[in-house]
Amino acid sequence: MNFKWKIIIPFAFLSVFGSSASAIAHGVRMQARETQAIEVNAEYDTGEPMAQAQVTVYAPNDPATPWLEGTTDKNGNFIFTPDSSQPGNWSVQVRQAGHGSIVNIPVEGNQAPTEGNGTAVPATNTPRIASSESANFTPLQLILMGAAGVWGFIGTALFFMRGNKSNSELRRSESQNG
Amino acid sequence: MHIPDGILPAAIIVAGYATTGGVTWYSLRQIKRDRNPQENIPKASLLTAAFFVASWVHIPVPPASVHLILNGLMGTILGYYAFPAILIGLFFQAVMFQHGGLSTLGVNASMFGIPAILAYHLFQLRYKFGKNNRVWTGIFAFLAGAGGLGLSVVLFFFLVITNIPANIDAAIERNAIYGLVLAHIPLMLIEGAFTAAVALFLMRVKPELLESR
Repeated sequence: MNFKWKIIIPFAFLSVFGSSASAIAHGVRMQARETQAIEVNAEYDTGEPMAQAQVTVYAPNDPATPWLEGTTDKNGNFIFTPDSSQPGNWSVQVRQAGHGSIVNIPVEGNQAPTEGNGTAVPATNTPRIASSESANFTPLQLILMGAAGVWGFIGTALFFMRGNKSNSELRRSESQNG
Repeated sequence: MHIPDGILPAAIIVAGYATTGGVTWYSLRQIKRDRNPQENIPKASLLTAAFFVASWVHIPVPPASVHLILNGLMGTILGYYAFPAILIGLFFQAVMFQHGGLSTLGVNASMFGIPAILAYHLFQLRYKFGKNNRVWTGIFAFLAGAGGLGLSVVLFFFLVITNIPANIDAAIERNAIYGLVLAHIPLMLIEGAFTAAVALFLMRVKPELLESR
């Protein structure tokens, strides 16, 4: 391998794998890279945040062993950086006092491996927000669904009440006729 | 207080469904013994509607809030009709609002339904103190309403505290569970008082509704 190639190969690697900025100096190597952080916000269905709830993150290639553990902050927020060398659905479970939920976040593996470290930090302007699957309805939809459910029960009640009345009327008319 | 999916191990979930299946069968058998089972269906449907929406009524208990459950009231008024009514109400809550889970439907139905049946038997004790005694009816309705919920809270406590997964901090989780259980004590008083009010009201305007035999 000649001298020219020894220069070219590292530059080729850098241009391919080093994404935003990299600087090499005497004995110091610094690298800044943009990674995808995932912010999870957990709240009860009343809208109260799940403060200090325990968070367990599971990587896609091993859904049984926790990949990262932590707690939410007082606003129910939790931010972590998934290992993007493991593309697939990352599962985040939040649990507090026997209550909790699991959210699956699809992560695309288009970046170099990064070291994951999760910390609970207050809400920031993180561009990516993981949304829980259970909160997909608007308040109007929920009210309509609730009203439909309640009407189903009341309708059942009215149906059987009517049945009783007509039965008793029938019996009365039968006894009058007979 | 509904237990959602993914909290309990599979064995408990299967046991919950088995218990609920058995109690549902027994309740339906008791209902079948009624002279006219259809007569009580409107009452059961209306209370199912009340149970279904009760979980939306949140009562602030610092530092958190709890929601109405009304299983003691269901048992007091409905007797054995309460179990299928609670099962149906829980099913709708889980399917529509993800309140509780479908895998834990059996556990939740047993957790709320069995105390409801016990509340009914507790309320029947009022007959020992005279049939139309308003004071004792009120007292036993209060005890049934508060006790039905209280027993559910105790069941919830044992279910979740004995099933804390190994990977989370058990001490923090235990403290959170203690907090939640304590928050339900004021709710027990509220539901007891509400059950007594409903029972006394029905006794005045339509006493036959309280005779669930």
